[in-house]
Parts: sequence; structure tokens; C-alpha cells
Amino acid sequence: MAEDSFLADDFLRELMSVGEVDLLVGIPSYNNASTIRQALQSVEESLRQNFVRERAVILNVDGGSGDETRQIFVQSSERRDAGHKGLTSLRTIHRIFCEYDRSPSQGLALRTIVAAADLLRARACAVIAPTTTNLTPSWVANLLRPVYREGLDFVAPLYVRSRFQGLLARDLLYPMSRAVFSQRIRELYSDEWGFSGRLASQCLEQDVWHEEAVRTRPEAWMAIRATSAGLKCGQYFLGPKTAAPAASGPDIVEAIRQTVGNFFWCMETNQPNWIGPANSQPVLTFGPDHELSSDGIPPSQEKTFDLFRSGVNELEPILAAILAKDTHAQVKTIALSDRSKFHFAGELWVKTLYEFAASYHHAVLNRDHLVQALVPLYRGRLYSFLLEHANSSGEAMETQSEILCQEFERQKPYLIERWTAKS
Amino acid sequence: MLLQDENLWYKDAVIYQLHVRAFCDSNADGIGDFRGLTSKLDYLQELGINAIWLLPFYPSPLRDDGYDIADYTSVHPSYGSLQDFREFLTSAHNRRIRVITEMVVNHTSDQHPWFQEARSSRENPKRDWYVWSDTDSRYQGVRIIFVDTEMSNWAWDPISKSYYWHRFFNHQPDLNYDNPAVREAMWEVMKFWLDMGVDGFRLDAVPYLIERDGTSCENLPETHEIIRDFRKRIDLAYPGKMLLAEANQWPADVRSYFGNGDEFHMAFHFPLMPRMFMAVKLEDRKPIIEILEQTPQIPDTCQWCIFLRNHDELTLEMVADIERDYMYDEYAVDKAMRINLGIRRRLAPMMENDRRRVELLTGLLLSMPGTPIIYYGDEIGMGDNIYLGDRNGVRTPMQWNGGWNAGFSSADPERLYSPLISNPVYGYQGINVDSQRRSAHSLLSWTKSVIQTRNAFRVFSRGSIEFLNPSNHRVLAYVRRLGEEKVLIVNNLSSSAQAVELNLQMYKKHIPIEMFGRNLFPRIGDLPYLLTLGPYQFYWFRLRRI
Repeated sequence: MAEDSFLADDFLRELMSVGEVDLLVGIPSYNNASTIRQALQSVEESLRQNFVRERAVILNVDGGSGDETRQIFVQSSERRDAGHKGLTSLRTIHRIFCEYDRSPSQGLALRTIVAAADLLRARACAVIAPTTTNLTPSWVANLLRPVYREGLDFVAPLYVRSRFQGLLARDLLYPMSRAVFSQRIRELYSDEWGFSGRLASQCLEQDVWHEEAVRTRPEAWMAIRATSAGLKCGQYFLGPKTAAPAASGPDIVEAIRQTVGNFFWCMETNQPNWIGPANSQPVLTFGPDHELSSDGIPPSQEKTFDLFRSGVNELEPILAAILAKDTHAQVKTIALSDRSKFHFAGELWVKTLYEFAASYHHAVLNRDHLVQALVPLYRGRLYSFLLEHANSSGEAMETQSEILCQEFERQKPYLIERWTAKS
Repeated sequence: MLLQDENLWYKDAVIYQLHVRAFCDSNADGIGDFRGLTSKLDYLQELGINAIWLLPFYPSPLRDDGYDIADYTSVHPSYGSLQDFREFLTSAHNRRIRVITEMVVNHTSDQHPWFQEARSSRENPKRDWYVWSDTDSRYQGVRIIFVDTEMSNWAWDPISKSYYWHRFFNHQPDLNYDNPAVREAMWEVMKFWLDMGVDGFRLDAVPYLIERDGTSCENLPETHEIIRDFRKRIDLAYPGKMLLAEANQWPADVRSYFGNGDEFHMAFHFPLMPRMFMAVKLEDRKPIIEILEQTPQIPDTCQWCIFLRNHDELTLEMVADIERDYMYDEYAVDKAMRINLGIRRRLAPMMENDRRRVELLTGLLLSMPGTPIIYYGDEIGMGDNIYLGDRNGVRTPMQWNGGWNAGFSSADPERLYSPLISNPVYGYQGINVDSQRRSAHSLLSWTKSVIQTRNAFRVFSRGSIEFLNPSNHRVLAYVRRLGEEKVLIVNNLSSSAQAVELNLQMYKKHIPIEMFGRNLFPRIGDLPYLLTLGPYQFYWFRLRRI
């Protein structure tokens, strides 16, 4: 039986009223009453300053906020300079509010956005996080412009990171995605990005929206879809990013489930596009391709090593099913080492991850459990990284990152070997 | 009709703007004249207009199309005599058509005897009738209006060896209104024409009458004093006569020219005009709504004058830079179409001869609040000639028929004051009054019909306006209301078919009656009122509760 339309009639009616647009900016929200006004103003300001003649719509897709997110979005008046004469912008900047569900889901939010982009025939789209507290008009323009004017299909953001920020991305997601998918996109997993109407239409047609990986982190899937389809990708340096504190603190287990789980799923579903030699290419980058600020102090990692050691111990049968014997043995060996001399080498880390990916592919056990089994190993690698780099400069850390990336690429044949081996 | 109401005739007027020179030539000299114009009054009556605004017809060297007047109380010999003018005026009044003339108060021609005397010596009694200076550094920073031709607002007079002030061309010295004698002289001029029976004046370049150091020399309080003085004299001696201000300013700045109902009766709404064009090109009602939101209320006895095109360039002074760039790119790609800060084109060519867009804009003009002005020739979709220099491309001879000189003149074509439009699209052989009179579906017939409809309902001229804000921004909808008379106007500004849902709860149970076909539409109920409109289509509905 065909799926019922996931777009409400009222929403369709609003889209109908807007008609064709050039630009669409989506703001997924959930209880963002305290920050959405500023995000909206930045978006409107950006459209006014940078896209004077373009037809534009701002779409707030909400996951059932219980606060005043909706009212603020709908009722905020357009900012107008005192004494201004003439038009603030040539065209109406439309606003549409849509509640896609009663509970938040990045995937459902994005599905609504790409559906709107497809129906409105938008040429360039951007997704903006209302939680970003330092969102400036230039951010929005920088995500839209490469798509609208340069013909790119996907634009990832680049942020200034402090030395100890975004370690999951720098030590796992970026180097692995670079080796596997051959595109050097640093921030595959982010809350802000730009994409073309063409990519939106292609994504909308995919029957994957019910998949957990897409429901939780659709942005990386979208990027990988773009690279796999041979579409043009790029990244834009946006500067430092600050975000409103989340209601609950960072949860490494959930972060790995979402990102690594999503990444393995993307590998699984895009297999024909990446099986081949590692030959990563830089993507078109606007501004510097990275910037590590020298500030930041290493986070306290008192329990990290203990959690690594106990995890390796407690998950031994699971790790034995996932890892090659030799790899498993090396992991167990370092788990027994002195914490002050602990070192989780890059070579071992890469091999470990590739074996996890291959085991995910062969479904040696429940895939969600498999991904979660990576958590203690990541903690070990994290502990080692922090131990090694407590006093390193940003530049030195970046050099190490590049070496790690090359290691991922060097070992790609091993990944392919494990992946294609008959189970 | 009450006398007081009769005195507000300008509110109910549909004004036709024309140049005597361009309308009809009666004596085969290639130049239109008053006798020719008089012979065409039946046409104007048939069109349905009820006021004529005449461009300057006074003796003049014609270096600025007559806005450089050399004698305020006579008629340029090319256009006839004072007697011809009187006969024209009587004939117009006999047809209940009022006549508004130009009063160029800010400046004269440098050929005017007043200026000739003034420059003859520094001791001449008329010397102080103009603004002189030994340096060209006074009033620094005051903007130059004709930026394409003038480098300074001062010009050197080699005869009296000093500079004179001019806000327009350097051959148009500004009069000195600080001199009471100048005011009296100008009042004498007004009396001359009012005594003859003229119904009103369009006062040219009003904001620039007074100069003061350290100011923009525009819209100064002393200027308003002068206007109030003229108005007071007119109300006392000539009740029912009208003053129309040409003040190309933002609405909030023009508002002061209405005073407390004791300055001008009417003023042009300059910023609205480009935004009507912009809205149609953008397919978005925003430009119109936003400028009207910035338009202040005016006294009950006053009225805005609105227009699409006129004898000047489509002025882009009262727009922001982004708007001006857009207008140039969309409506004046060829640089020859641009002059000063504006576009020298007629309505039909700007609309790429798209009848639907011409009708839509005319419909907007005739249904929005204000007294509409129709520029001669636009009712038949006349074209322009952007290569004629200055703004002469929109001042070509009226196209009456497909015959000799378009029926404008029986002179040899070479003698015409201006070449006719003769290209295959807009040429007089196809675009002319006679051919359009023959067809009930011509632009001319349509224009007559829409003017007739407007004239039949005073709500258009005097009613309030309330914008509806349907979520479809391509649709501009508003309700005009005067007492129990209600009219709903719905315009599709876009090139594609549109559906729109209108919140008409205030008019629940009313029946919309389409005003051109007089067909009934479904009664307004509880639900949003759904309408579909074809590309550039518009509806005028009477809302009746029956």
C-alpha cells in the first residue's frame, strides 16, 4: 500500500501560496523559543543583504515544541531600521511553520525540508540550527551562495575548533570518510549545511527515510549521497561556533550510535561507490580548510581509561566476534598497560575501525550493539590522544591528524579485503 | 451636489495629461495647437476623462519642453493665441472637462524679460528677483537634479559677472522667493489664468522655492509659508480651484505640502509609481504594500495623484539603490532607455506590449486610492523612441489614424516637431485611435470601459482602502469602502495562474458581483473565499448584501 502523504494539507496550502522560490532556508526546531528569534533575524538579514532579487522562503520545521517556538517564528516582525525609506527588500521573504511530528527527528525535519524544496523548485537550500547562538547573516549566505551561484550541490560548514573540540570528527569520522568516500569534507556531521534543489529532489526519492540512521543524522547521508552521485561538493569556513547548552550533557554513547552507526550504514548502502583504491580529493573550499584555535584545555579524563579497560574486559566475547584475532590481542594488550604510558596507535585504531565496519557489513551481531561496542575503544583512543597532545600546539595536532588520515587511506585495501571476504 | 462637494471635484477626477504640441495640428505647420486640441475634445469626453492637465504652452525657447517659460501670460505662437486657448477652455467646460495648467513657479527661462533685466546690471530693480552670488560655493552639498547634464547648481553669468542659482538646467534661473515682489508677480500670473477660467494649477518643482545656508534647500518652512499664502488667496478669491504639487519626495516629506488642508489640494505620489512596475516584475505585492504603509494620512479635503507614466522619465529618485538597480536591469537594459535617475519609456513598451500587463497596471491605477492620471497615448498603447534625446521619445505625436502623419498633421512629414513612431510593433499604421475605435476589444475600448466603471462608483475616488493579506503574495487584494459601498479588488501580479484564499469574514453573506460582466459570484460564507486568477488577471467585485 502506498504511503500516505507525509505533508499536511495546511502545509501544502502554504507552499502553494509561496509558489516557486530560488532559495529555501530550513530551521529544524524543538523547544527553541529562547534562540529562534535571533536565528530568524540572521536568516532574514542575510537574504535581504545578499539575495536582494531572489525569491526566498524560511521554513521552520518543528518536532512538537511545547514552548513558544512557533509563536515567535510566526509573529516576529521583520527588523526595520529606524528612519528607513524605501523597501527593506524587494520581495516578500516568506515564512512557513510546519509541525512534522509530535516528537523531534532530524530525519523527519529534513524530509519535510527537502519535500518543500522539491515542490517549490528551490535552487539552493540551507539548514540552520536555531541553537547556534552566534549565527550571523554571513553564515547563511556562505552556505547558500556556493550552491546558488557556483553550482555546488552540497556545502558543508567549517568551524574554528579549539584543540580539544570535535575529537570524534577529527579522529574518526573525517579521516575515515575521507578514505572511504574519497572526499575531504571535514564536517560531515553538523547542524548547518547547504544543498541544491537537485540533491533535495534526489534525496526525496530515496526510500530510506524510515531508516534509523537517516532519522537521526540525515546530513551525512545527504553528503555521501551527493559524493556517490558524483555531484559537486564543497565546504565553507564559517568561523567559530557557539551553541546554546543542551538540556542534557554530551553523551558519547549516543553520539557514536548516531554518527558511527550512520556512517557504517552509509557505507553499507553506498558500497558500489566506494569499493576501490583510496584516492581522496580535496573539495572546493572557501576560506581556510581548517583552523584550530590554541585555546582550550584538555577535558578531565579521570575515568576514561578505566572505562576503556573495563569495557575491553567486559565486552571480550563481543569484541572477539568483531575484531580479527591479532587486533583483538593488541587491544587487550594495551588495555593492560600502565595508564601513564598508554598509547593507542593510529595504525591499530584504523585497523580496529575497519574491522568494526566490515563486521557491521557482515552483521556478525546486532548492528546497534556492534556500534555501541566501539564506545570503550573510542574512549581508549581518546585517552591516548589527550595524553599525547595535552601540550601540543594546534599546528602539531593538525599534522598528526593528517598522518592519521593517510593511515586510513593506506589501510583502505584492508578494509575492502575484510568487507568483501565471505563470512 | 453640495457646493462644498463640488469644490472637491479633483478627488473624483480622471486626469488626462497631454502636450498641446503633440496632440493635434490644425494649421499644417507640423506642431499641435489649441484649435487641434479643441477638435479632439469629443474623443476625450468619449474616453471618459473629466480633467485635462496641459503641459506648458507658454512662450518659451523650448530648451526644456516649455518648462523654461519666457512669458507667463501668453500662448506660444506655435500653439495658437490666447483667444484659441479661451475657446478651448470653454469647449472643455461645456463637456464638463476641467482644465489644469502648468505653473512653473520655481524658475523662468533665461530669456524671460525678468531675468534679462536682472542680469543687465547689479543695480537693476529686478536684480533681486533671482538668486545671485559672487562665488559658486554657497549652498554646498545641495544635490544636483539633472545629474546627466549639470555639474553645479550655480551658473556663471558673463553679463553681470556673478553666479546665479538654478536647480534644473542652467538656462532656468531660480526665482528669489525671499523677495515679496516675486510672490506678487507670480500671484498676478495665477490670477490672470484663474480669471480666464482655468480650474487648477500643477505647481512645478515646489520643494525648491527657497534657499538657506546649511540646508538641503528643499522642503524648507519658508516654502510652505509661500504655498499657504497662495492657497489662502485662491480660497478667498477663487473657491473650487485646485493646486497640485509636484514634489518628488518620500510620502512622509510630501505630507507636509498638504499642511492642515491649507496648502496643496493634491500632490503626486511619486514613490508608488515605480513600485507598481516593480511589483509586476517581481510578481510580489510587497513593494506596493510597503510604500503605502509608509504613506501617511492626509487631510480629508486632500488627495494623492497617482500615475503610471508621464512626460518625464519614470523617476527613480525615490527608491533605494537596490530598487533602482532592479528597475534598470528589468526595464531599461539598453542604456539609451535611461536618463538622469530614471527611465524614458512609455507604458506599453515597458510591458513588452503585453496587453494583459498593460491592463493590470491600468486597473491598479484606477482602483487604488488617489486621482489617476493617464498620459496621452497610453490608452491606445503607443510606443516610444528612446533615440530622440532628452525625454522627447515619450512626447511624439498622438496617433489618430493610419493615414498621413497618423492624422496628427497635414504638414509634410519632415515638418513635424518630432518624428512619428513608425516601427512595425508600435507604429501609427497599427496603433491608432481610429483602428481601435472599430474594435470592442481594443485597448482603447477596454480603457473606456474601465474608466466608465470607475466613474460610476465614488468609492474608487473617495473610499478607504483595506489590504487583505492572503498567503499568496503574488496576489494583491484590497477592499475599497465608502459608507455602504464596498468594492473588492483582486489582482494577480504574476505571469502564471494563481489560486488565492481571501479572508472575507467581515463581508460574510455578501455577494460579490463582478463589475465588468456584472455576474454574480458565490456568496461569501464561513470559509476563506477561494478565487483562481489567470496570468495578470484581475477582478473588481461590488460586495452587496442582498
